[in-house]
Amino acid sequence: MWWRSPSFILDRQQQQEQNDSVPPESLFLTSAAPSMADSLQNPKSNISAYYQTRAAHHGVVTSDWLAQAQAAVGRHSDDDDSSESDGRAVPTVGGDGVSGKAFSVIEEFNNWRKQPDLAEAVAAIRALAAVIRASQATTMMELEIELKKASDSLKSWDTTSISLTAGCDLFMRYVTRTSALEYEDFNSAKSRLIERAEKFGEISCKARRIIAMLSQDFIFDGCTILVHGFSRVVLEVLKTAAQNKKLFRVFCTEGRPDRTGLRLSNELAKLDVPVKLLIDSAVAYTMDEVDMVFVGADGVVESGGIINMMGTYQIALVAHGMNKPVYVAAESYKFARLYPLDQKDMAPALRPIDFGVPIPSKVEVETSARDYTPPQYLTLLFTDLGVLTPSVVSDELIQLYL
Amino acid sequence: MPDTQALVNDFLNKLKKRKIEGSQATAKQTAELLRSVISQTRVPYTNQAGALIDSVKAVGERLIAANPVELAVGNIVRRVLHIIREEDLSLTTAAMAGLNLSAVSDDEDDTDRDDHPVLSAAAVAAASRSTLRPPSLQTLLEDVPDSAAVPHTSSSGGDSEGKSKSADKSSRSRKLKHDVIEAVNELIQDINTCHEQIAEQAVEHIHQNEVILTLGSSRTVLEFLCAAKEKKRSFRVFVAEGAPRYQGHLLAKELVARGLQTTLITDSAVFAMISRVNMVIVGAHAVMANGGVIAPVGLNMVALAAQKHAVPFVVLAGSHKLCPLYPHNPEVLLNELRSPSELLDFGEFSDLMDFGSGKGAPLLHVVNPTFDYVPPKLVSLFITDTGGHNPSYMYRLIADYYSADDLVVQRRPTSGN
Repeated sequence: MWWRSPSFILDRQQQQEQNDSVPPESLFLTSAAPSMADSLQNPKSNISAYYQTRAAHHGVVTSDWLAQAQAAVGRHSDDDDSSESDGRAVPTVGGDGVSGKAFSVIEEFNNWRKQPDLAEAVAAIRALAAVIRASQATTMMELEIELKKASDSLKSWDTTSISLTAGCDLFMRYVTRTSALEYEDFNSAKSRLIERAEKFGEISCKARRIIAMLSQDFIFDGCTILVHGFSRVVLEVLKTAAQNKKLFRVFCTEGRPDRTGLRLSNELAKLDVPVKLLIDSAVAYTMDEVDMVFVGADGVVESGGIINMMGTYQIALVAHGMNKPVYVAAESYKFARLYPLDQKDMAPALRPIDFGVPIPSKVEVETSARDYTPPQYLTLLFTDLGVLTPSVVSDELIQLYL
Repeated sequence: MPDTQALVNDFLNKLKKRKIEGSQATAKQTAELLRSVISQTRVPYTNQAGALIDSVKAVGERLIAANPVELAVGNIVRRVLHIIREEDLSLTTAAMAGLNLSAVSDDEDDTDRDDHPVLSAAAVAAASRSTLRPPSLQTLLEDVPDSAAVPHTSSSGGDSEGKSKSADKSSRSRKLKHDVIEAVNELIQDINTCHEQIAEQAVEHIHQNEVILTLGSSRTVLEFLCAAKEKKRSFRVFVAEGAPRYQGHLLAKELVARGLQTTLITDSAVFAMISRVNMVIVGAHAVMANGGVIAPVGLNMVALAAQKHAVPFVVLAGSHKLCPLYPHNPEVLLNELRSPSELLDFGEFSDLMDFGSGKGAPLLHVVNPTFDYVPPKLVSLFITDTGGHNPSYMYRLIADYYSADDLVVQRRPTSGN
């Protein structure tokens, strides 16, 4: 009936031609000064910095990771003296010159992002707070324009990170909505914005605790939970359940290529929770023993579906087929204004996969780091706004953006 | 106070002994009881809403504990709490607007107002609105406002203005109670008329020459079908008898008395007859926040049969049945097991169920659950007194009727009161 055209052959030929010519500049930076452009440009244009960072934080400890961690620690020795752990830190500006033009929001953001415990959106908002601090604007309008430029440059630097975009949008919205109305004095408005931005780190931690509290009722004694990917929110949920002396066991998927499952099972073993590791292919095999699936989310989209680490869609499909509930734990700032219609409808986020043996160059590898799970396979979302069904998400987004 | 205490204890007794049948009666009596509690509560000048909320919570906590399976009690308690918060808010915004107007004219009292120079009525209202509505993305970055700021300004306003304001304040305190009691009266009115409101929509859903299936007996369903009959629709009804209480028999009798062609079938015959049916219409005991339904036993089976044959499954529920909680393990936690005597005749089975014969526990167990849980994906439509809704829309109604703070009805430990 249908005749599928072997267009993949044509595509490959086109791609080879492209690789032979000079790779085009695919990213467009707006606010960085020209001298910074080279060092700030994303070195490999299609590798997703967001997933690289996550792998670095939650993947298995490799020599690579150690080197990166050491570099991050070295960078932070300047900042750490003045920073405190409760989130009221005043970070020194990027290590570079403090003159207005040379301040780089992207460097600032990268600094914050290196801390493994910090949520992506918190890092973004802290970076924007640093912009405010370093700004020499004298009116709200000027400050807003600077913030908008900084936020745009952050967003374009890494188009694959939804929390980053959402964090920037949220902060911009807050700035434009409230500050001008409440305060007549520019300086007090500015200091208030900075204070709220610093507070956001606490809000993010509080959000995780609220989510953990809301999900406690759903974990009953004797249940088996399947977890995929290393989500700090889900870990908090399981920690709280363990502290409340609930008896449950966890199945962890290995989570190739980052092998997040190994890290997660380590953490859970420390909490004395019975853990079982599965390879990704064993999910359907064990699904009938499972009572519920718990995942985090990199982003929650308008339809109520989620974007999460590769493999989540697969697990949700299997769970749905076997009538098991799929619960998502996500903070509310991860709600994004996206509406993917299928898996390829998002900006590509690629990650290099290490198979352990060299692969011949003629063999293609699917390197996408994330997939989209449609809302009909999700049962409930636990957010700091409460327990929501997937249909509520678009309602919340409409309230925010209209 | 002693009057209300006696009323409360009396009602608690009835709840514990399951003497009140039906969620509508329970809801109505709960609302009336809470109304008398509110009118008897003495409110201080400041933070009156807090005092009212505390007293309602104290009584509500005990009522809910008396019969946790009767969700209508908790629903009404939470509705009343939400009413108190809303009335307080609207009074506060009106007062704020009034105070600010007078602030403009009185220059000598500006020293008092220097602390809140820019707390315009809009900002304060926005601040209190954010405590009233559940947290949302919009308010994520804002401070949880000094909701203390709201009564402070009102009290400072009262002190500095002198006699005129104090007269105003006492009238304000009476006004809050008065408004709340009026709103509770409206609530009671709504509960009373929910059947009529639902029955009004019958004509839109039941068409000529249709076959309707129902199970057991529900007053809402009876009125719904009769309303359609009065509008000259001719249709037939299949009634499943609803073992073990066989209330379907009563419903069939009623329907025939009103002139409707009725067929009585056993519960086991539902799957066989479902392919000849156009629509299933049933009542509910409670509707949960995810759209799931706590319904009389047997309805989960009917819902599954309806889904298999693509027959619409319509649930009729008054708004007092809408519960803001999520069902965890509802088959066990939200169910009541009734006496085995409804199933078995003690005379014949007494030797099998004998605990005292010294041979250990008997081998025969009888389970007689009252309710069933129907998951939201099996329900096609909810018809409430506000209209017809999708199961995924329930959260909207819940946000309208309830406040997020009231999900756990627990009185905060206070020293006095």
